[in-house]
Amino acid sequence: MKARVLRNADVLAVVDLLRGQGYEVLAPFCGRGRDTCFDTVTDDNREHIQIHLPNPYYPPKRFVFPHIERLMKAERSNGDLRIEPTYEAPKRAIFGIRSCDVAGIYHLDRFFLGKEFSDIYYEKRRRNLLLINVVCTDPERDIGKECFCMCADTGPAARDHFDLQLMDLGEEFMAVAGTAAGEALLASPIFRKGTNKHVEKRRAILEQLRGNFESTMTSWFSGAVRYVSQEKVAEKTWEEIGQRCLECGGCTYVCPACTCFTVSDRRTGAKEVERVRTWDSCALGGFTRMAGGFNPRRAVHDRRNRRFFRKLSHYFIQRELSVACVGCGRCAAVCHGDIGMPTVVEMIRRAAAQAEAR
Amino acid sequence: MAHQLTTCTYCGVGCGLYLETSDNRVIGVYPSVSHPTNQGKICVRGWHVHEIASSAERLKKPLLKKHGELEEAEWDEAFEFVAARLQQIRKGHGPDAIAFLNSPRCSNEDTYLLQKLARAVIGTNNVDQGSGVFCNNSIDVLLETTGVAAASTSLADLAESEVVVVDGVDLGRRMPTVGGAVIRAKLRGAKLMVIGTRRHRVAENADRFLQIRPGTEVPLYGAMAKVIVDRGLMDLGFIKARCRNYEDFLQQVREYDLLHAAEACGVPAEAIEGAAVDFARARAATLLYSTSMEARSRDTIRAVVNLALLTGNMGKPGAGILALSEQNNLQGVCDMGMLPDRLPGYRRVDDASARAELETLWQAKLPSASGLQAGSLLGNGAASPVKALWVCQYDPASAAGLEETAGLFRNRELLVTQQLFMTEAARLADVVLPTTAYGEEQVSFTSTERRIQLAQKVIEPAPGLMPAWQQLTRVARLLGANWDYTSAAQVMEEIGQAVPFYSGASYENLGREYGRQWPCTKDRPLGTRYLFGENGTKFKFAVVPMPPQIAAATEFPFRLFFGSSLYYWAQDVLVRHSETLKREYRVLWLDYPQGFVEINSEDAKQLGIRDGQKVRLRTEAAAAEATARVTPEVMSGTIFVPYFLREVEKKLLQNRADRSQLVPVRLEKEAA
Repeated sequence: MKARVLRNADVLAVVDLLRGQGYEVLAPFCGRGRDTCFDTVTDDNREHIQIHLPNPYYPPKRFVFPHIERLMKAERSNGDLRIEPTYEAPKRAIFGIRSCDVAGIYHLDRFFLGKEFSDIYYEKRRRNLLLINVVCTDPERDIGKECFCMCADTGPAARDHFDLQLMDLGEEFMAVAGTAAGEALLASPIFRKGTNKHVEKRRAILEQLRGNFESTMTSWFSGAVRYVSQEKVAEKTWEEIGQRCLECGGCTYVCPACTCFTVSDRRTGAKEVERVRTWDSCALGGFTRMAGGFNPRRAVHDRRNRRFFRKLSHYFIQRELSVACVGCGRCAAVCHGDIGMPTVVEMIRRAAAQAEAR
Repeated sequence: MAHQLTTCTYCGVGCGLYLETSDNRVIGVYPSVSHPTNQGKICVRGWHVHEIASSAERLKKPLLKKHGELEEAEWDEAFEFVAARLQQIRKGHGPDAIAFLNSPRCSNEDTYLLQKLARAVIGTNNVDQGSGVFCNNSIDVLLETTGVAAASTSLADLAESEVVVVDGVDLGRRMPTVGGAVIRAKLRGAKLMVIGTRRHRVAENADRFLQIRPGTEVPLYGAMAKVIVDRGLMDLGFIKARCRNYEDFLQQVREYDLLHAAEACGVPAEAIEGAAVDFARARAATLLYSTSMEARSRDTIRAVVNLALLTGNMGKPGAGILALSEQNNLQGVCDMGMLPDRLPGYRRVDDASARAELETLWQAKLPSASGLQAGSLLGNGAASPVKALWVCQYDPASAAGLEETAGLFRNRELLVTQQLFMTEAARLADVVLPTTAYGEEQVSFTSTERRIQLAQKVIEPAPGLMPAWQQLTRVARLLGANWDYTSAAQVMEEIGQAVPFYSGASYENLGREYGRQWPCTKDRPLGTRYLFGENGTKFKFAVVPMPPQIAAATEFPFRLFFGSSLYYWAQDVLVRHSETLKREYRVLWLDYPQGFVEINSEDAKQLGIRDGQKVRLRTEAAAAEATARVTPEVMSGTIFVPYFLREVEKKLLQNRADRSQLVPVRLEKEAA
C-alpha cells in the first residue's frame, strides 16, 4: 500500500471531491446525547460532519441491504398483468465507515454475491457504493465499551475491502487506497506522498490502541469457535442463554453481518401490488415455521443456538470464507438480556472449563 | 434522508427511537442509545413501526352513512352533520344521552379535547378510556394510599434495586423493555422475585418464583406482610413519619396466617417466608404490577402498596412501585381525565372547587354527576339511555373484558368514529372521520414512568387528513365553543393550566432532551425522577380483609380463569399491517383456528390430552368445548381461557358478573 498524507483541514475536502463526482455522500453526524447516525451530506450540514464519534448504531449494511426494499411491482390494467422489477442503485459513498463495518460489508458481499446465485438487488447497490474507511483512533470517542474488533481481527484498522482508508495521525491524516477507485481519488492534489515516519507513526498508534479495548476475550473468541464447531456446548448452556432472550430480533437487525430477510406482497392501490423485502430475524419464533405448523426451532434456545452456530461454527466460516461476526459490539448494546456475542463467548468458555474440570 | 428522534407509541414504556425518512416515506427505525428509558434497546414491535404508516388501506376521506351505506363526503359536510346531530340529540334527550369513548392509543391532546368537548360543550361526564375497568382499580387504590395515580419510581431505577418483585405480568411479551431492565438488574446482583400463576420468560430467570394459584395474591401478600411484622423487619421510622392507618392495618394483618396462605396459594410456607424476609431486608426494593391486568382486584393492589409502605420503599433511589400502564398512552389518557368520575389531574367531578377552577379556565359550566363507565355504557344494549356515541381510535374487538359490542353499537341513533382503518366499529358508524397516524402528527404521549414525550411528525399525511384533536376543534366551534387551537403545542399550553403536574411541560421543554417525567412544573422544569422524595407526603395503609377460601372441589378439580392472553396485541389494528408482526403475533390463529384454552403439560399428559385436541370443560351447570393448547407455562391444576373465546366464556360464566372469579371445572377429552 502506498501511503499518502493530507492535512487535517483537507479531510472534509474528500467529501467535497466525492460530491463533485456525483456521489451521494453518507457521513457521520451527532444526534441527541451520544446517538450518532450516517446521514446524507448537504451544503447545510457539511460543517457538522464528525470524524471521531461513537460508531453509528444503525448499521451501514442498510445502504446495500435496506431495512425495507421494494423488489418489484405488479399492475393490472385492461385484463393485462404487468410486472416489473424496481431497482434502486444510487451512486453513494459512505465516508467514515469503521473497519468493523467494512468487514461486515465484505461478509455480505460473500453471502449475496459469492456463490452460484448472485442477488441482483444487492449487486446493483454494491456496485455503486464506495467505502471511505476511517480508522478508530480516539479511545474516548471512537471506541465503545462493547467493541471487540481486536478479537474478531477486523480492526481497528482494516487491512482491505475498503476503497480508501483515512487514519488520524494527530498532526495530519494518512490515506491508503484499497481499490482502483480509491487509487483514482488519490490523484487529487490534497494528497502528498507519505514517508516512513508516517508509516511508523501509524504502527505506533495502532500498537497503543490495543490496550484501549475493555473486552478481554481475545483468546476466548477462537476458543468459542472451536467449542461450537466441535459441538461441545451443552444443551444446558443454550437453555440458559434462551432464558434471557426476549425475542426482539435486535441482534440480527443491528448486526453488520446478518442477512436474514423476508419477502411479502402489499397492496399499494386498487390494482397495484408491490413486493418488498424486509429485515427479518432468526430470533423470532415464526421465522422457521412451516406451512402446516411444524417448526424445527420452536423453542427459544434452539433459535439462540442457531444464531451462534451461524456466527461461530467452522462450517459457516468455510462456506463464506468470512466470519459472520465483525466485533462491532452492537449486539451487546442492543440486547435486553445481555446475551450479545461477548457474553455468550464468555458463557461458552466458562461452561467448557467447568465441563473439563469434571 | 432524515433521522428524527421520537417516541415509540406501541406500549406504555415509550422507548426512544429514531425514524429514518426519505421521499416522504418512513424507511427505517432504530433505538436511541442515549434515551434514559430504553438505552439502546427496543422490542420486536418497535423494530417494525416503519412498516405501518404507508398502508394502502388507510382511510383518506370522511364517510357518511347515506341511505344505509357509508359514502365518501367532504370534511365540512361531515363536521356540520356531526354537530347538527349532536345538537339535536342533546336537545331531545339531554346531554347524558351522549357518550365519549377513546382508547389508550390516543395522544394527550386528542384525549384532553375529547373530554373537554364532552364536559364543557356537550355537558356530560360520560367519558371513559375503554380499555376496561381494570386500570381504574389501580387509579383509585393509588390515590387512596399514595395520593398519586402513577408509578412512584422510574425504569432506570431498577438498576439500583436490591430486590425486584414482579407481580404476575408477563413482561417479556407485553413490555419487553421492562422485562430486559428487570433481567439485567438480576444479572447485576439484584434478587428477582416473580409472583404469579404463569411461568413466563422473566419467571424463568427469577431467584424466587412463587407460582401461586390464580386469584390468591391477597393471601400471599398478606402472609408476607405478617412475616415482616412478626420478625420486626418493618421500617418503623418511615412508618411513624410518613404513614397513617398503621394500627388498623396491623390488626388486620395479624389475621393472616402463613400456613393457610401456603395452603391457599399452593406454594411452600418456607418460600413465602423467604420471599418476605429477602424483600424486607433489601436496602431498596421495587414492586412491579400491571394496571391493565384483568382480574387484578383492588385488594391485590392495596396489598402490594402495603408491602412497599411497610418496608419504607418509597421516595428513594431504586425503590418504589412501578404501576405499569401497559397500553400505549394509558397513563396520559387517565392524566387527561378520560374517566367518568375524574377531571383532568384526577380530582373528582363532584369536587366543587376542582370544577370551579376548570369552569374558569374553560368558560363553561361543568356537570357534577359521574358519568357512565365504558362497561355499563356498552353493556346495556337497547335499555341504555345513551343515544349517541363518539369513539376515538377505539375498537371494541380489542378491548379486554368488555361484552360483544357490535350489537350494542347498532342500537345508537348516532355513532361517530375517528379511525385510521375500516374496522368493525367503523363499519357500523354513521360518520367515520379518518385521522393522521403515527409519524404524521406531532403530539405527546405519557409513558408508564410518567415521562411526557413528543411523538414527532416525520412525514406529510395524505392531503385532507388531520389529527383527531383538530377535528374535535372544528366540531366544537360548530357547536358554538370558541376553541382556536392551531397546534398541538397550543393544546399542551392549556393542558398545563388544567393539570398542575403538567404545567411546565411545554413542547419547547419536552423537545429539549427526552421528554420530562411529571410532575413537571415551572419550579421543576426538568421533571421528577421518583416521587415522594421530600418528606411530607403522608401515605395511607389499606386494610385488606382476608378473602374467603376457595374450596377445592374434588369433582371439579381444575380452576378456570380468564384473561386477555399473550395475544392481546394480535388484535391490534397496527400489528395487522406489518408482515413480521402479523406472523409473530397471529400465528396462534393459524395453529388454533378455533381458538384455544391453555392446559399445563403435566396435566395434559396425565389425562392423555394432546396439543390441538378437542376438550370439554364441565361445570356443575354447563359444559363448553374448546381446543387444547398444551404448555408448561400454565400452572398445574388451572386452565386459562383467553377472552376472545366468547362462547366458552358465556357458557361457563353464565350469570356470574364477576369475571375475576375462578370457575371450578372438570376437564375431559371430547369423545371422538
